[in-house]
Amino acid sequence: MDADFFKQGIVLLDGAMGTVLQQRGLPPGGKPELLNFTDPELLRSIYREYIAAGSQILCANTFGASTPKLAGTGRTVDEVVSAAVAIAREAAAGTDVKVSLDVGPLGELLEPMGSLTFERAYGYFQEIALAGERAGADLVSIETMTDLYEAKAALLAVKENTRLPVFVTMSFEADGRTFTGCTLSSMARTLEGLGADAIGLNCSLGPDKLAPFLAELCACTRLPVIAKPNAGLPDPVTGRYGMGPEEFAAALLPCLEAGVTIFGGCCGTSPDYIRRLRAALDGKAPAPRRCRRESFLCTPPCPVPLDGVRIIGERVNPTGKKRFQQALLEDDLDYILDVAVQQEEAGADILDVNVGFPGVDEASMLPRVVKKLQSVVSLPLQLDSSSPEALEAGLRVYNGKAAVNSVNGDPESLARILPIVKKYGAAVVGLTLDQNGIPQTAEGRVAIARRILDAALARGIPAEDVWIDCLTLTVSAQQEQAAETLKAVRAVTEELGLRTVLGVSNISFGLPSRGLITQSFLTQALAAGLTLPILNPNQREMLDAVAAFRALSGEDAQCRAYVERFAGADAAPAPVKPGQDMTLEDAILRGLKGDAGRLARQALEAEDGLSLVEGRLIPALDRVGEGYETGRLFLPQLLSAAQAAQAVFEAVRAHLADKGDAPVKKGRIAVATVRGDIHDIGKNIVKTVLENYGYDVADLGRDVPPEDIVEAVAAKRIPLVGLSALMTTTLPAMEETTRLLKALPNPPVVWVGGAVVTPEYASSIGADYYARDAKQSVEIAKKVLG
Amino acid sequence: MRRPDISEALRCLGAARSGPELRQQAEQLADELSAALQPRSVWAVWPLVRTGDRFRLEGAGVTLSGSTAARMLDGCETAALLACTLGARFDAMLRSAQARDMAKAVLLDALGSSFVEAGCDGTEEEISARFPALHRTDRFSPGYGDLPLDLQPALCAALDAQRRLGLTVTDSLLLNPVKSVTAVIGLSPTPQPARIRGCGYCNFRENCQFRKEGTTCGR
Repeated sequence: MDADFFKQGIVLLDGAMGTVLQQRGLPPGGKPELLNFTDPELLRSIYREYIAAGSQILCANTFGASTPKLAGTGRTVDEVVSAAVAIAREAAAGTDVKVSLDVGPLGELLEPMGSLTFERAYGYFQEIALAGERAGADLVSIETMTDLYEAKAALLAVKENTRLPVFVTMSFEADGRTFTGCTLSSMARTLEGLGADAIGLNCSLGPDKLAPFLAELCACTRLPVIAKPNAGLPDPVTGRYGMGPEEFAAALLPCLEAGVTIFGGCCGTSPDYIRRLRAALDGKAPAPRRCRRESFLCTPPCPVPLDGVRIIGERVNPTGKKRFQQALLEDDLDYILDVAVQQEEAGADILDVNVGFPGVDEASMLPRVVKKLQSVVSLPLQLDSSSPEALEAGLRVYNGKAAVNSVNGDPESLARILPIVKKYGAAVVGLTLDQNGIPQTAEGRVAIARRILDAALARGIPAEDVWIDCLTLTVSAQQEQAAETLKAVRAVTEELGLRTVLGVSNISFGLPSRGLITQSFLTQALAAGLTLPILNPNQREMLDAVAAFRALSGEDAQCRAYVERFAGADAAPAPVKPGQDMTLEDAILRGLKGDAGRLARQALEAEDGLSLVEGRLIPALDRVGEGYETGRLFLPQLLSAAQAAQAVFEAVRAHLADKGDAPVKKGRIAVATVRGDIHDIGKNIVKTVLENYGYDVADLGRDVPPEDIVEAVAAKRIPLVGLSALMTTTLPAMEETTRLLKALPNPPVVWVGGAVVTPEYASSIGADYYARDAKQSVEIAKKVLG
Repeated sequence: MRRPDISEALRCLGAARSGPELRQQAEQLADELSAALQPRSVWAVWPLVRTGDRFRLEGAGVTLSGSTAARMLDGCETAALLACTLGARFDAMLRSAQARDMAKAVLLDALGSSFVEAGCDGTEEEISARFPALHRTDRFSPGYGDLPLDLQPALCAALDAQRRLGLTVTDSLLLNPVKSVTAVIGLSPTPQPARIRGCGYCNFRENCQFRKEGTTCGR
């Protein structure tokens, strides 16, 4: 077919299938896909009505044709898709009407919200896409998506397995976000980057409510934009949708003016609506598009337009950090997450993520770290690796638009990295060096930048996605290079019009008062045009310099953020801190994390780690536990104390890692919420408290199949396992897991807990202990592991 | 704009007797929560057809069986189904809080449970406003009494809750996002006595400190 037909002029889709079928007798909750077998003539007749009304594309009756949704129907994806496409084809026979495979959500939530992995979701969509192309669909419409991650899985599956054009539409609520919090700009930039052929909105609201969102979408993408609204909202009593055909068509016209060119209807619409729409659109021409070209990164809830200085946090990186290296080797992703969270709280806008270290399989570690980080941190990521395999694996599972750090002017690097950047719609950092090394002059570096830009453009990567790093060299070693770097930054900004990136910390290596040099260099680089400094956001003076620059450059309108940051700083010169004469025990009892960490670091100058833990930390925690048991302290306070203790432990670990000593660990414990159970806060409470008694806790997660728990416990020879279940429906999984654990050659001690678990039940399934709460779990751990 | 009930949340954390500090923290967190998101709900009403002990919601594809439904719906001619959720964004907030501050997370969790209840209360008011002449029974949910949990998929399908609220049912019959409720409310021309008491009905039952200690909060 003419793959570009929807890129010119106005295209009319069809209207609803599901609600039309309900009007004609399908009960709510019934599966429309089964009608492909039981009543094909009904479907054909509806399609013929749509064709008569003016539809140019029909959606095959395959919205729910996925393996999870067809479970229990006795039908396969292939059967449903081939029957459905054939029915639409027959209705369209003798016309030039196209048939689209229709792909809806899988009906299960993807990680981290649910248990469905990105990879499994991809597999389900792959099955549908392959069946669709085999059945002869002309294009694919992925629709009603509310999770950008699921939309990405579906889009990749279509792009990688078929040659069909693909439309993607998502459903937004009245607050301008999807149920999962995705914003319009994040959706637009991500899906365009991934290679969708047209994007838009469907379902959820009427055309009046969607119109402003569609206008915003038109501004965020160069792609054709699709509008498929509902006929208003359904009345809860009558079930009827509020907007008639006339009103519907009239309300869609402003969308045409905003730049929408592909129109159709979703729930509540019918052939009548499409006929009115046809009449309203006839003779109209598409409106000119005014798309904002901008450098941009995002996660679904957090769009980051790069229209000013944006701070890239550099701390997720093992280079020169023993504690981070240890975490990587021990697979301690929680530590890496903590480092990321701290930078987010300190004010980073983007996080650089580097997990390359000898002994670490980067291609498997990077995607795992990406998934871990994006489950909790909403900032966009810059994936930092020299391995194309690791970069591709990381970009694949990333939810949003990421950056890649980096490519350089070496043709081999360009050839290996740029295709990956293009495929996943990422931005890329180009280092101004090549196979001959780093040019010593600004001109030499700008020439490489130009080569990188040309190579990117040739691959279809837009200029706004190419950022240049003019490279910081250490001023104490190559003094003249600081000026060359600044000169190159200015030239790339002014002559090439590109964003620049610069890791600034390196400038001061080997000098005293490093902060002063770094801060001064940062300020000069910002003045030369740098917009993406890579730095340690935990260093206050660096963020201060950026705040001052933003005020001076006008980016910080009315100096508001500057005033907020510094207001009162002059008035109150260093008051005596309340924590000055506080003891470590006080800090733990009162749950003061910062003070506890500080006091622990002080104490470690004179005391060894183990005696600090055994002599002071544990007794303090025991006092907290006692207060909790006797009802003087409550759960939030118990946890605050536990977190203060965690800061002490972290100080001890960092101290030992720096000395090269073995870490203090009192014994290994695994905890998991059993299969089927998605409520995991109880398990997480237990984990937090156990860790702060010094136990090494492997958190196997929630909704964990028995065999996975057994495998992890056997592989790591874990002597104590805690299982949590909160619902009666998941108790059988607890029993099965316990049984399998007890069948191991060296069975671990098993303790169980959770709202529905009782001591009697625990002993009836063969568990060794029952714990009512986190405090009792600690008692059990002490008894078993010491 | 709705707001969670602080006292209810603290009570269910077993912290009803806590000092002003914890309460103040809860107040602040409740402000953050209700500014960030609001409970969302959908509802619909169907005629009720009784055959023996079974009640069919005519046209909804839902049949309620068992003594709980029989006791609750006695004398009702129509019934409403409702679904209410804080959505995936609450779960994201809770995940984020758990990675930063578990103490804050447990408070947020309890506030979330109370918030979704407040959302259901609001939906009940909407239903009442549409049927001023009818009397409502207490709302009751799958898992309460002998109303089977495996009704969840049918209730959600009847309300099109996945499409309209982003609500899914797992294989183990749990609602996801986690702070979600589905419920049945009978509508009757005659006044309805309150029938529901106890833990089986309470949405805090999964993480109630009282229950863990073998007592109840007495409601």
